[in-house]
Amino acid sequence: MVGVADMKISNQTEQVVITHALGSCIGVAIYDPHVRVGGLLHYMLPDSSLDEEKGRENPFMFADTGIPRLFKECYRLGAVKQRMLVKVAGGSQVLGGPEHFNIGRRNYAALRKIFLKNNVLIGKEDVGGTKARTMYLEIATGKVWVKIIGQNQTIIEL
Amino acid sequence: MSLVPQVLRSLKNLPPFPMVAQRTLILLNKPEVSIQELVEVVKFDPAITANILRISNSAYFGLRREIHSLHQALLLLGTQELLKIIIASGATRLFNAPTPGYFTERQGLWRHSVSCALMVSVLCRELSLPDHATGFTAGLMHDIGKIVLSLFVEQKFHEIMEVVEKQGVSFQAAEKIILGVDHAEMGGEMARMWDFPDRLRLAITYHHLDKPEAYTDDLILLVYLADILCLMFGQDLGVDGLAYTGYPEVLRHFHLRERNLQKVLLQFGSAWDEAQILFGLMGKKDGVQRANRG
Repeated sequence: MVGVADMKISNQTEQVVITHALGSCIGVAIYDPHVRVGGLLHYMLPDSSLDEEKGRENPFMFADTGIPRLFKECYRLGAVKQRMLVKVAGGSQVLGGPEHFNIGRRNYAALRKIFLKNNVLIGKEDVGGTKARTMYLEIATGKVWVKIIGQNQTIIEL
Repeated sequence: MSLVPQVLRSLKNLPPFPMVAQRTLILLNKPEVSIQELVEVVKFDPAITANILRISNSAYFGLRREIHSLHQALLLLGTQELLKIIIASGATRLFNAPTPGYFTERQGLWRHSVSCALMVSVLCRELSLPDHATGFTAGLMHDIGKIVLSLFVEQKFHEIMEVVEKQGVSFQAAEKIILGVDHAEMGGEMARMWDFPDRLRLAITYHHLDKPEAYTDDLILLVYLADILCLMFGQDLGVDGLAYTGYPEVLRHFHLRERNLQKVLLQFGSAWDEAQILFGLMGKKDGVQRANRG
């Protein structure tokens, strides 16, 4: 279980890592199929310059401090960057114009920027819109599911 | 076909508003509340007194000294904080029934309501406004209409969602189109039946800012903004997701920039962690809820 501004890394193949109810937050799942190491990060805001002390206290709060940590922790369990599969979900927005209530979009833009700089490709993603999402990462297979919170609880595989 | 007559008929079975909370709402309007008045309100409800002590001693307040009496709680926390606790404890009964039309989790509405109440407090601090128990209460009560409307939304969920998706309108606007009444109006009607103070009733009725009257009171705008920020924070989201409208004029009104909103979310994250005891007021198994909050 990954909370808000939280991260879990695992190589225990019986585990499924879950993060609940992403609003404008973003969930990033990475997985190395060769060593079966995976990690799931749930960050809340794009940039730790907002509050650097909080960023040091809990790097998983922000994209710029959380994403590097996610990769580093997976490397420690033997994962290799070139083999990593990357999947992304969340970043929803309320309705209305593009201005002001933009945190979901900014969260996603921050991630794209970091990935571009580090040559990381996003395999699949389900971002934006007004949906609430729960995200699952199965360590045995690297499969990622997104559950759309709704009456039918639609599940899609990323 | 409009369901309005059916919806209104269901209001006839509305249970009475919990008495302690009712009497506390009246105190919200008074500039000064004495310890005696507070004691009078809660003394016949031992469960609420127990809750007050439990919450006062929790991480939510982080006091160093242990509190043993109502009197001590008042001295250390002040009237406004104590009013918040009494209203939250008194209102739990209202939110007891599940609301499957909106939330897949049994306590979803309660959790969202507490979140919104906390968010109003965090916003007040960011805006340097007095963090008065009235704001907290309005945040807590803003969605009471969902308690009654849930049944009807559940039946017509697919039609409502279709309107949201095809017409790009908010969930509330779609309720109005499909059911003939939306949860904000419904809440206003309930507030009228329960004799809520006018300001509180209007905050409930207009919390989605769909009428010009909404802009007459900052309290309404605060509740609106807190609600939207809770949706962005995620966690206790319902089946309606984030399908509500963001109005930039509200941000301009409070001179808030996006960076301020990010700060509010950051502070809310800590407040939300510390306030788990408030979420737990509803159920017995606090441990289970802690496990669920991730």
